[in-house]
Amino acid sequence: MRITVCLAVILAVFLCLTGAGLAAEPIILGCPLPSAFLYGWDAERAIILAVEEINANGGIKVGGAMRPFKVDLMDSRDLEPGVPVSEALLALEKLILDKKADFILGGPVRSEAALAAMPLLSKYKKVSIVTTGVLTPKYHALVEQHYDKFKYCFRIHGEATWLINEILTCLIEIRQKFGLDRVFIMVQDVAHARASGDILSKVAVEKGFKISGMEIYPTGATDFSMGLIKAQKTDSQVLSIWMDMPESAILLKQWHDMKLAALPFGSTLASAEQPGFWKATNGKGEFCMANVVNAGNAASKATPWTMRFYDAYTKRWGIEPEGLGCSSSYMAVYVLKDAIERADNLEPDKIVTALEQTDIMGVYGRLRFDPKNHQVIPGFDPQQGAVGSIIQWQAGKRMVVFPKSIAMGDIQLPPWMK
Amino acid sequence: MNVEILIYGTINSVSLALYALGFAMVYGVSRLPNFAHGALFVLAGFIAWTLLNSLGLNYMLSALLSIIATAAIGVMIYRFVLIRVRGMEISEIIASYALGLAILEGLRWSGLKGMTYTLPVFMEGSLQIGAVAVDYQRLLVVAAGSALVAFLYFFTHYTRIGLALRGMAQDERAAMMLGIDSDAMAMAAMALGSTLAALAAIFLLPLGNIVVEAGYNVLILAIAVCIVGGLGSWAGAVLAAFLIGFAQILTEVYLGAHYQMVVALLAIILTLVVRPSGLFGRQKELEERV
Amino acid sequence: MAAEQLRKERIDRGIKVRTEGIYALMSWRELLYLIGPRFLLIAGMLLLPLLMPGMYWQRVVSIVCIYALLALSFDFLAHFVGLVSLGGAFFVGTGGYLAAILNTSFGLPPILTVFLATLLGAALCTVLLLPCLPMRGVYFAIVSLMYPLLLARLIEAMNILGGTDGIMGVDSFPNRWIEQYLLIAVVLIFLFGARRLVNTDLGLVLRGIKDNDQAIRASAMNITHYKALAVFIASIMGCLSGACLVHIYMWSGVSQFALDFSILPIAATVIGGSSTLVGPVLGCLILVPISELLRDFGTLRIVSYSLILVGFIVFRSEGLMVYGQRKYHQFERWTRI
Repeated sequence: MRITVCLAVILAVFLCLTGAGLAAEPIILGCPLPSAFLYGWDAERAIILAVEEINANGGIKVGGAMRPFKVDLMDSRDLEPGVPVSEALLALEKLILDKKADFILGGPVRSEAALAAMPLLSKYKKVSIVTTGVLTPKYHALVEQHYDKFKYCFRIHGEATWLINEILTCLIEIRQKFGLDRVFIMVQDVAHARASGDILSKVAVEKGFKISGMEIYPTGATDFSMGLIKAQKTDSQVLSIWMDMPESAILLKQWHDMKLAALPFGSTLASAEQPGFWKATNGKGEFCMANVVNAGNAASKATPWTMRFYDAYTKRWGIEPEGLGCSSSYMAVYVLKDAIERADNLEPDKIVTALEQTDIMGVYGRLRFDPKNHQVIPGFDPQQGAVGSIIQWQAGKRMVVFPKSIAMGDIQLPPWMK
Repeated sequence: MNVEILIYGTINSVSLALYALGFAMVYGVSRLPNFAHGALFVLAGFIAWTLLNSLGLNYMLSALLSIIATAAIGVMIYRFVLIRVRGMEISEIIASYALGLAILEGLRWSGLKGMTYTLPVFMEGSLQIGAVAVDYQRLLVVAAGSALVAFLYFFTHYTRIGLALRGMAQDERAAMMLGIDSDAMAMAAMALGSTLAALAAIFLLPLGNIVVEAGYNVLILAIAVCIVGGLGSWAGAVLAAFLIGFAQILTEVYLGAHYQMVVALLAIILTLVVRPSGLFGRQKELEERV
Repeated sequence: MAAEQLRKERIDRGIKVRTEGIYALMSWRELLYLIGPRFLLIAGMLLLPLLMPGMYWQRVVSIVCIYALLALSFDFLAHFVGLVSLGGAFFVGTGGYLAAILNTSFGLPPILTVFLATLLGAALCTVLLLPCLPMRGVYFAIVSLMYPLLLARLIEAMNILGGTDGIMGVDSFPNRWIEQYLLIAVVLIFLFGARRLVNTDLGLVLRGIKDNDQAIRASAMNITHYKALAVFIASIMGCLSGACLVHIYMWSGVSQFALDFSILPIAATVIGGSSTLVGPVLGCLILVPISELLRDFGTLRIVSYSLILVGFIVFRSEGLMVYGQRKYHQFERWTRI
């Protein structure tokens, strides 16, 4: 008996040692994300899904060996109102210095924090791909201005100026179809929303739209009645909403109750990006349109990969992809894998060059980075560039209605507007 | 426009009064700043949601049970934590704030994230008043708020417990000399305050959704209203709610929705500079000016 | 005939009695008794950056020092002047923004900006808090709590000073070691300075204001004047920490007015030992690293440290340092009576 036990122990030790030799050292992906918020867990879940898929297929081939990815998530809490950005920066530093992350994926998510993180990333020479939140155009503008310093920063999802372009093109379509051309803008009092609201009002006027008003709401405001009444009094026909705060649900419910004759068109309207929105508003969110930034965040057939991703995510997490960072976080992992395999190296400068040469057909179209400012190149045709999606809530489902190349349905007006 | 300002001003004011009455009640009776007020608000909403969705109970029943549960939790907070730090101002504030923080962050950790948690409204549809349509839930808020204020008035003037609470609020020593138990009254006040917070949650949360951030916002608004009205005065809290409520609406219309929150905070600072005891504060000027 | 009872009695240790006054110089043992703890603290803090296993933990040490300064200012105001300040964030934000502006708009080097931002910031904070100084009680607490929120909203609403984006491109300290040792030195100087201050005449007046302000008033001293002085001293500490924070992270923004900067110092003071001035520093040394270690647990760490705070405040509200001092200076024994 004792001899059997001894032999078993020796065998176990032997296996462990050889096993340790066989198990390749993982490539660590540090992800500073606010996991208690939609623009945090959208990236988290997509990244985990991608890593599981890649690891199941053997991993990444680099330096002659197959190495797996390892996800190291750290709660940055940067979307919480009472938390200073230095918390997120500390989380980032912990990932880099303590957890020895090789690459940074996902965040920080709040524009302020992401901008503040850029000097840190350049100091430690860590390649980072931002995949959710951070819509400010200042991010890639800074990369272009100080290329040598900030060349390690990439962004793989759509940003504010392109979103405005998409929204404007969609508005022109709406004008052609329904004749609506008076826009009332309601934004949240945060950097990206205000900047976007300003830019949209300028550009829309150039294209012949009339801006009937603009209201800025502080985060935490619970009363939108006066703004909606103003919109009503000025005969507004479209409500352009830039709010990711939860109180936007109050706005939409009240819009429905007042039977305001204006089509709500949201961007970064976090509440409307979730499948649970319908139930949460008791159906009052019907006809609300929202820009979900990249295809794949709602069902469409942009590329063969789109529905594969959509179904895989739904199967893995039990809920459809939600949030603007879902498909982009998923693709970021694959894009990184592609770059590592092409560079056959983990060195930051080589990876930067490899990423700049990325050209793969991903979940939301052809993915390439602009080599000057490391922003993913957008487009209206999935064969040409990264394609966005604008959805409308119809009959309890999110229906992709724009761009035409991937639309699954038509834009509809609420019954009281016809 | 004036009709709309009047209507929505009233709705906003009554909402503020609903937020603030619970805090004013507890402070008025036992001079206890209950910084866990916002947490109790969100907790009540969450309990109602859980009873409604996970257990499938009737909405009225869930609301009632959630109110009772919140009142019980409020009493337990007093009985097990706050009673031990009674009288030490700093410790009271820190203890109640830390508890509120623990409850709110605990809710966030256990899954209250995202924007899909919501309570149903009592009645769908809206009423057309002049040129503007007001939904029934908001009208219900005004009706319920007014009824509540009236009920509180009668409660504190014509029932034994209510009179005892008022006695404690006026002068603790004299009340104790008359045989009113200070701790029992403090617990009753906490129960009442928590009930008011839960009622506010039941009526106001269906307008939007249940999120943890609402807890912090409600606390700030409640404190703003109570300070302007005078810490410890219930009539003052109601009056201050109307003042701030209308100020917010007028700011929205004429200056821009931008400055909504600034109004509430500025009101506090202005009050403290000009008239620290607030509108109807019970503190005598001599006591507080040094 | 009374039955004999056992009672616990607490008496100063012999060595404590011997070290009072000039007799402390009697022998090395007495000197060691007095110097020992202080030397341990100073040496410990100076060695801390060298002992840290990595750059990340060295950064944590800097953050500990920043919170320690804030906790010092809270303890000083709350337990030596009677003003409960819930506005640590106010000081940090003001000092931080001033330092950032001085650095980016006027191009001054970090050493100068820190110095100027501290003085200017302290003056600004004192002036802004002046209206509520003639009042006592809970008003100062509420106003100091509201100011950071108000300023944050104002900066957002009026989109000045970088608005919600913040001010980027602030220079950092020339050297990692300067960064850490500057902060540690500052903390030690202010710690021992404050302890000296509360024993001077000025300190006596301030403590008198806490105990019985009417008596001070009756001695023909202007209370508002002394309170303003105390707030100025406390805000020097706060603004200094804000200015250093901005240079460490090379950035300044609205989130510097975050409530976290108000709450953690209070928690540290409660846990570390209120009214000892060393307690808050110790509390920070405990709380911040624990907070970092628990980061893997996400929001659960906030829940745990609020529960710990509630536990301490209710059951051991004196704090660790007071308990420690008591054990060091006194001993307990059972006596028969």
